[in-house]
Amino acid sequence: MAPAAVYVIVFHFVPVVYGFVLSFTSYSPLSRSGPEFVGGDHYTSLLSDPDFGRALLITGRYVLQVLPLTVAIALVLAMLVNRPFKGVGFFRSALYIPHIVSLTAVSMIWLWMYSQNGLFNEVLSFFGLPGQAWLLDEQTALNAASAMRIWKALGSNMVLLLAGLQSIPKELYEAARVDGAGRWNLFRYVTLPGLRPILVYVVAMDIIFLAQGFAEIFVLTQGGPLGSTTTVNYLIYTEAFQYNQFGSASAMAFVLFALIIGFSYLSMRGISGRRN
Amino acid sequence: MVVVIRPRRVATSAVVVASALALSACGSAGPEPSGGESSGELSVWFPGTNQTEIDLVTEQIVPAFEEETGATVEVTFLDWGDMSTKLNAAFAGGTAPDVFGHGPAALADFVANERVEPLTEYVDRLSAEDQDDLADAMSGGQVNGTQFLIPLSLQGSLLVYNADDFVEAGLDPANPPATWEDVYDVASDLTVRDASGTIVRSGLLLPSQPIGRQQTFAFLLHSAGGQQLTDDGAEAAFASDEGQRALDYFTQLFSGSDAVSAGLGADYSNAPTAQQPLVLGTASITLLSPNSMQQVVTAYPELDLRVMMPPKFEGADDGHALGGAGPGLMINADSAEKDLAWQFIQYMISPDTGAEYTQGIGAIPARASAASTPYVQDNPVLQAFVEAAPLYVTNPNVPGWVQVRDTMDKYIEQALNETTSARDALDRAAADVDKILEANR
Repeated sequence: MAPAAVYVIVFHFVPVVYGFVLSFTSYSPLSRSGPEFVGGDHYTSLLSDPDFGRALLITGRYVLQVLPLTVAIALVLAMLVNRPFKGVGFFRSALYIPHIVSLTAVSMIWLWMYSQNGLFNEVLSFFGLPGQAWLLDEQTALNAASAMRIWKALGSNMVLLLAGLQSIPKELYEAARVDGAGRWNLFRYVTLPGLRPILVYVVAMDIIFLAQGFAEIFVLTQGGPLGSTTTVNYLIYTEAFQYNQFGSASAMAFVLFALIIGFSYLSMRGISGRRN
Repeated sequence: MVVVIRPRRVATSAVVVASALALSACGSAGPEPSGGESSGELSVWFPGTNQTEIDLVTEQIVPAFEEETGATVEVTFLDWGDMSTKLNAAFAGGTAPDVFGHGPAALADFVANERVEPLTEYVDRLSAEDQDDLADAMSGGQVNGTQFLIPLSLQGSLLVYNADDFVEAGLDPANPPATWEDVYDVASDLTVRDASGTIVRSGLLLPSQPIGRQQTFAFLLHSAGGQQLTDDGAEAAFASDEGQRALDYFTQLFSGSDAVSAGLGADYSNAPTAQQPLVLGTASITLLSPNSMQQVVTAYPELDLRVMMPPKFEGADDGHALGGAGPGLMINADSAEKDLAWQFIQYMISPDTGAEYTQGIGAIPARASAASTPYVQDNPVLQAFVEAAPLYVTNPNVPGWVQVRDTMDKYIEQALNETTSARDALDRAAADVDKILEANR
């Protein structure tokens, strides 16, 4: 077996298989008896677990709130910086910077910006408006976390879409113009179809990352208020590392895993369309 | 259809399965104690990354211990948030340290899984004078009467008030209220609202962030004469009249036109000194730990801050505060260096080292005799916290406590946000807590 294959098996497949095995056991790392087989108990329990059901809905809402906006804004930005103008390199770099900074560090900064005396409330105060408890209100907390995540995801999406834009042959645009296509038709019939492969990739990657949202939730809200930002990944963390219940946490992880695969596949099929 | 079984695929699958099974084996028991002669080497994990504590332990206390015993001690400080995760992984992998520190909240789970060494026999070997001196702290390190954790300090949070705000509101700062009902009346006088009616200075601000909520509730519950769990730790006891009184009081602070607190859910307890509500002038009475208060007093000597003894509810016997045993040290049940480990712990709690340690980190000393040391005598803040020590009550040491605490916290939050009544929240919390306690029995 090639060394690369050994690496993939040992560090990628084995942990996944082990996690899957654990999901059928009751296991605390503190226990001396090791994992005890409980069959599919954890999976059946999840079906009637209101906390898990709510976390799934919150995770879904989080993905739906962030994904369309971040892709749409990133596409607009990519089209803007796809033109030759003075300082374009600076703008491209500036827009990409949020992607380079760690999510935890970014979350810490946004935590301050959302705080009672933070930037957003200072701006509201400047306009004579009352401050908001952005992260402490059940109605606004997930939206606030989503806004941060949209900003954070813009850079990488923009760069990928920019690469996609630059790979579209210019001849297609010229031919379309000759045929009398206006700006909208150029976008609709040349740009979007040309971007389809990279859009599939961007959307799939975003679904995978967003559905696993954890660091920003951990830093900004710790799942609150009133559990309104408890994503599935945050619930898994709590179950595994706060309560030492690795079996049920693994079961949650595999349900999430299956859902991510399912939705990623559906979105890929939806965007790329059926091919003969 | 012919199914072809490819040997290479079989081999790959076998590697995956074999490796997974090998990993499963990792999840079993750690190594047995090796016994035999002492290597003279000790590994110790301390919780927290306070630089003052790190410098004190690594540059003064441990070198002195090594010189006295000839042992070699490898000390590691871990972030509090990572402590449980890393300890659990180390126990599962058989690489846990000989001695480790943790808060009493985690103790019962270690005991239930036989991961920590009973220390009662070691404690019995201490002189009677030492045992008496440490008695207040030791009880918080016991599970079912057996000593497993040796607290290095006491902890406790008390109400701290700004005397100038009292004077400004026409109140006498020399006579702070003694009952929670009076505290509320005083807080009403101290609360300041802007033209729109929004509270800009809370009269009384108690922690209402995650975990802080449960601690505040417990603080009020004990002062109302209630308790969190039954004496045997088998069932919830907070869904009582006392519990309802405590939770109604807590909710009343934040709700309606008579509210005296702003910022429900905001975490001021872990805010930097400069962001403390008493410093910002956004609260007149808050709950603070001794080291937080000392940091404020040191940084802002112009503030006239004073400590209030734990109030009681009218009709209750005594006021109480959540506190008691602070973080302490435990010995890994699989350690091959148990005697040396105990020597280290004994050194840490000796009068001189204990005083040096608690003074260095600004904590309440574990020894009662420390009340007469210059560290306490010359420090009015600490004096007040030491004086209140007999009124401190600890969280229960039961397996699954962290989950119990979080469950209580969840329902308390619902009551505070008035999505449910106090009685309903407590009843539902008690039902869930009983299930958790049953599952961990």
